[in-house]
Amino acid sequence: MKTRTKLLIAAALVAGTALGASRVAFAQTASVQAAIGQGTVGEQADGYLGFNGSPSAGVRAEVEQINIKRRAAYTDLAAKRGVTVQDVAASVGCTTLKNRVGAGQAYKLADGVWRTRSGSTPIPLPEYCA
Amino acid sequence: MTLPMLTPDDRDAKPTGMKTLGLPLIGAALALSGCIQVRAPEKPIEINLNVNVRQEVVVRLQQDAQDLIQNNPELFPQ
Repeated sequence: MKTRTKLLIAAALVAGTALGASRVAFAQTASVQAAIGQGTVGEQADGYLGFNGSPSAGVRAEVEQINIKRRAAYTDLAAKRGVTVQDVAASVGCTTLKNRVGAGQAYKLADGVWRTRSGSTPIPLPEYCA
Repeated sequence: MTLPMLTPDDRDAKPTGMKTLGLPLIGAALALSGCIQVRAPEKPIEINLNVNVRQEVVVRLQQDAQDLIQNNPELFPQ
């Protein structure tokens, strides 16, 4: 009984810390979210965020940090699955272009051209996307 | 004991021998020109294979990619 309550407290503490951490992350990405909404930052087919135009230095630095963390996550998954980092990144790119670019937001395909998604029109995905 | 005699056919032997020597040469020339023709379609086939291989890998990774996005919301702001 005693160990059970201890476990429960520990679980609650872990959950609380996780919540707090995600709240901090949320605050940090607020300016990036605003930039995505304005279309100065957007998803690319290569699985990373890119700059469409010239966002503020603060946003730029945050996006670069996000891309470094993305690359680390892609590298981990690539090692686990025995594929290249580029393949993982391209696979994520397919998903972000398919599901996570809203109307009026910018995206960049492999041709290097920034486009804006108009309304609910689906983005033309690269041919290797499922 | 009879000595072999040259017949009219034997006298014509030399030109016939030259003809048979010429045939493999023509064959080799044909074979060589055939090899050069085969090389032309190599490039497009290679590109198609690469696309197929990447598509296969991307399809295999689709669920992983979705999980990665969902588990790291701070890396995928919207």
